Amino acid sequence: MRKTGFLYDERFLLHETGPYHPEVPERLTAIYQGIEEGGLLPKLVRIKANPAQRRWIETVHDSAYIDRFGDTCFSGKRVFDHPDNQMCADTYDAAFLAVGGILQTIDMVMEGEIDNAFCAVRPPGHHAERDHALGFCYFNNVAIAARYLQQKWEIEKIGIIDFDVHHGNGTQNIFDQDPTVFYYSIHEHPTFSFPGTGREFEFGSGPGYGYTKNNPVLPGQGDAEYTVLVEENLVKDFERFQPGFVLVSAGFDGHKDDDMSDVNLTTECYSWLMKRIMKIADRHCNGRIVSVLEGGYCLQRLPELARNHVAALLKE
Amino acid sequence: MFVSRSMTQKVITTGSEASVFDAYEKMSQNRIRHLPIIDADGRLIGIVTDRDIRSALPYSMIKDPARTAETEKVKDLKVKDIMTTDPKTIGPHHTIQDALVLIQELRVGALPVVDKEGKLKGILSVRDLLRAFINVLGFGQPGTLLCILVEEKVGQMKKIVDAITEEGISFGSVLVARYFEKDKRAVFPYLLTQNVARIKRKFKDMGYTLVDPMEWYLDELPKYEKE
Repeated sequence: MRKTGFLYDERFLLHETGPYHPEVPERLTAIYQGIEEGGLLPKLVRIKANPAQRRWIETVHDSAYIDRFGDTCFSGKRVFDHPDNQMCADTYDAAFLAVGGILQTIDMVMEGEIDNAFCAVRPPGHHAERDHALGFCYFNNVAIAARYLQQKWEIEKIGIIDFDVHHGNGTQNIFDQDPTVFYYSIHEHPTFSFPGTGREFEFGSGPGYGYTKNNPVLPGQGDAEYTVLVEENLVKDFERFQPGFVLVSAGFDGHKDDDMSDVNLTTECYSWLMKRIMKIADRHCNGRIVSVLEGGYCLQRLPELARNHVAALLKE
Repeated sequence: MFVSRSMTQKVITTGSEASVFDAYEKMSQNRIRHLPIIDADGRLIGIVTDRDIRSALPYSMIKDPARTAETEKVKDLKVKDIMTTDPKTIGPHHTIQDALVLIQELRVGALPVVDKEGKLKGILSVRDLLRAFINVLGFGQPGTLLCILVEEKVGQMKKIVDAITEEGISFGSVLVARYFEKDKRAVFPYLLTQNVARIKRKFKDMGYTLVDPMEWYLDELPKYEKE
């Protein structure tokens, strides 16, 4: 059994998105409830968040962007950069807490206190670009985590696995030219699904060419396609790249009951996927994984999906 | 949707007295495949394509211009000797739909754009057209594509547009296409949002069928036409 950290902070619930928005605080409570009812809480090392130091956020985002986000939030505006990005007065602080909590979690893994961790954070991050917010995301949590690992802990090569059903445009663009971060994403085909990037022929550019891999999946496809694509692409690419740390952008919105996408994954496939990722991390980086929540909107399915996700990390 | 808005305005050109080899160098340096030929007043008198040049120059010379024996033979060859005179053109006030049809019919890769006096105003290549259509379809911006099946009768689109507008969602584009089932149309709103779960439920509640996009493809259209 592994020592697994669980980042969960009730202040992540303070980020309110208003009526008719799918990215709601109830997502996190559903996740917490699933893990609790599965009897897993006592087995986890609980982590509370402290706000991130701004200098770490600035490794990814423009200083002017962070100011603009803060100014907009505290001025009482409820939308930032795009009508999808609904927020409240607590959003800016929640975003700092999410990043801060993830960086603490990384410290704990690197100091050997825990083997791996699941960070149940809000707001999510993988659509956030260097200088603008998109798709419910403000700070690119996983991208900042990668820079932190490189700069504070001197881990040279970071592997990012993004299985949210939407392509992580922000993460891809941030590391587009960077051969030290491999970005792998499997998602619904961009012709049909938000944000419209992550086509099969996007491989990164300049020195980063070959360090981005996209596996678009057509609407209606599911478990069968995922298992083949992951084995043929992710497993082989990471064998070649040999990451020193694995970061996961964990989105559960490809589940067949999640109406944010037309991809039809089963609960079992999500469990398989996380177990497969564990094997990859065991092989290349002593099992060092920090998994960070992105999407997943089906409140009925999130409890079991989160429970199984954590169980895979615990390697019970 | 006008040619003048989509064409390349800074056109690389040359005169009819220029040598073919200079024209070749100009095209490869600027990475273009069509070189309009103009007179002293800027009037279009011909066009040279990379294919014309490759046919005119020996391959060995394109590969290695220093090979003097063959260079000697063709060095006097001028653009006017190989250019297509009186090329097909299009006007700045034609639409990109006109250009699309024309380029497809003529099987050319680009059309010089000339005004009524015959002066060259720009060039519209297949690449310019593609850029224009990516723009028109709106998918350069983040969004989600829906596919809604509707009866072919007046007023359907209004209901769809109203429902989307009520949700406060912006449109990237709306495409309406024939469907392989008779008396049906497929409507494709490209919505500039990630938040589509609610609007999808709404359409289902309104009695519309949301088509699995995989069931609709352009390959399906000929079947309909053959019937």
